[in-house]
Amino acid sequence: MRGQAGGAAGFLQPPDSDVQSWMAKAFDMARDALENGEVPVGCLMVYNDEILGKGRNEVNESRNATRHAEMVALDQVLEWSRLKQLDPKEVCKLTVLYVTVEPCIMCAAALRLLHIPLVVYGCKNDRFGGCGSVLDISSDDLPHTGASFKCISGHRAEEAIEMLKTFYKQENPNAPKPKVRKGGQSSRGLCCPAEKSSSS
Amino acid sequence: MEPDTKRRKGTEYDTDLWDVLPVLSDEQSRDTKLLDAYAAPITEKRETSRLVKELAVVYPLPDLQHIKRVRARKDKNAPHPLEVIVCLASDVSGLESQRSTLADLLSSKTIDSRGLGEPFLVQIPASPPLTRPQFERASKHWPTSFHEDKQVTSALRGQLFSSSEKAKMGEYMNAAIQAARSGHALGMDAVGAVIVDPQSGQIVAVGHDCRQGTHPLHHAVMVCIDLVAYTQGGGAYEYEKYPACRYSVPESQVTTSHDDLSKEGNHCSSDKAMENGQLYICTGYELYVTREPCVMCAMALVHSRISRVFYGAASTDGALGTKYKIHCQKDLNHHFDVYKGVMLQACEELLDLK
Repeated sequence: MRGQAGGAAGFLQPPDSDVQSWMAKAFDMARDALENGEVPVGCLMVYNDEILGKGRNEVNESRNATRHAEMVALDQVLEWSRLKQLDPKEVCKLTVLYVTVEPCIMCAAALRLLHIPLVVYGCKNDRFGGCGSVLDISSDDLPHTGASFKCISGHRAEEAIEMLKTFYKQENPNAPKPKVRKGGQSSRGLCCPAEKSSSS
Repeated sequence: MEPDTKRRKGTEYDTDLWDVLPVLSDEQSRDTKLLDAYAAPITEKRETSRLVKELAVVYPLPDLQHIKRVRARKDKNAPHPLEVIVCLASDVSGLESQRSTLADLLSSKTIDSRGLGEPFLVQIPASPPLTRPQFERASKHWPTSFHEDKQVTSALRGQLFSSSEKAKMGEYMNAAIQAARSGHALGMDAVGAVIVDPQSGQIVAVGHDCRQGTHPLHHAVMVCIDLVAYTQGGGAYEYEKYPACRYSVPESQVTTSHDDLSKEGNHCSSDKAMENGQLYICTGYELYVTREPCVMCAMALVHSRISRVFYGAASTDGALGTKYKIHCQKDLNHHFDVYKGVMLQACEELLDLK
């Protein structure tokens, strides 16, 4: 189930017990999104064993399709850095992202731009994934787009998929059924609620 | 490039100074791949239709519907006026190429080869041409059929837009350039963007890069997307420090001017519009941006359902043509048209501002 997380990010590689407890909190955030009619993606940004940012998808309430969990949490990391008068890039370089679903292409680019070195995620995001599923923004050669980052994937992936399935069952009965693709997984990792017509 | 005689010294609005060119998918812009095939002259013309029919049975060429099986030699001195594709070289890959005879190619097949001459190798286009330049290149090798997309053809010739449409584009891009300059005056990178409702011609949002200010991810496009969210009763950030970053609620959605609207009222009209299936993030809107968006901004535009994007200058890691073509990326659930080159020179000059 594990991807590689060696090399530069190796020193950051968290022990299993930490991964479990941080991911549990990310799942709490995803559940909160689900209860609020948002795509159930939750995340945590951890620096020196401290949670600097917590985010969940809030696209519908902000009417801004870029308000993915990662973007929300990054805002809090930046705000924390500002309050502590620390260079946000130096903070980000030592911050690990724990997220229930593979970051989309947009979020992967944002994480690069801020030099986040390591991402631990649950399930794949076949529709929008930016860490290998659709494009590999995490490791492609993009000299003007920040720094590449490492990924560790697969933690509680089934559960993350189940939550996405539940969301699409509840919220969008009229949406076209997601296409089943090669690979067998039936639920797509979705960070974008664009098929939703209304949040009410 | 336009001929020098057509180039005039002019203002930034001079639409003769720039071309609007489509950023096509790889499938549309790549060179046509070629396959090796065996062709043979038809030595008895009256056997042609029988030969074509029988060859189609033994070598059906299933993925090459665009290939015309028979070609006429234009050279009047050619001994035989017609040639026919017998099979692909890969159909008979066990044979030693160059030397294969008709008997080799048809040995295991039940076909009457009367009227066919000795085979020779040709190269034929592997996929159907999608654009006129591809068609012209493909036809040099072997005749193909071509279902022309007239819009793409005229776009490639720089003829898709009338001069009045180009003048309008110039106006929108000029608003983006002005925003870029306002941002630059505040210490930001000189990048500007506007979002337009093409139905009414109205500018819905104007933004510039705000990275050096409060937030390193506030690229001009991200700012514009959030300002559009404001017109729908949402929004996530404050832009008070940046007076050039502004929005106006589209006239088509409200009857009163937006100054008279409380956020509450605004919200209600948005909800109603959303129920009617209108006014949903950037659906139906167009973006004008001075330089090609990065990966983050390009994907944000996919998520926002933008309908068309026009940019001026290309950028090194650009994601709408240079490094990626996210607007026509397979597997993504929303695609849109992208054009580049709008007010190219003025946009390139912004890149040099430090």
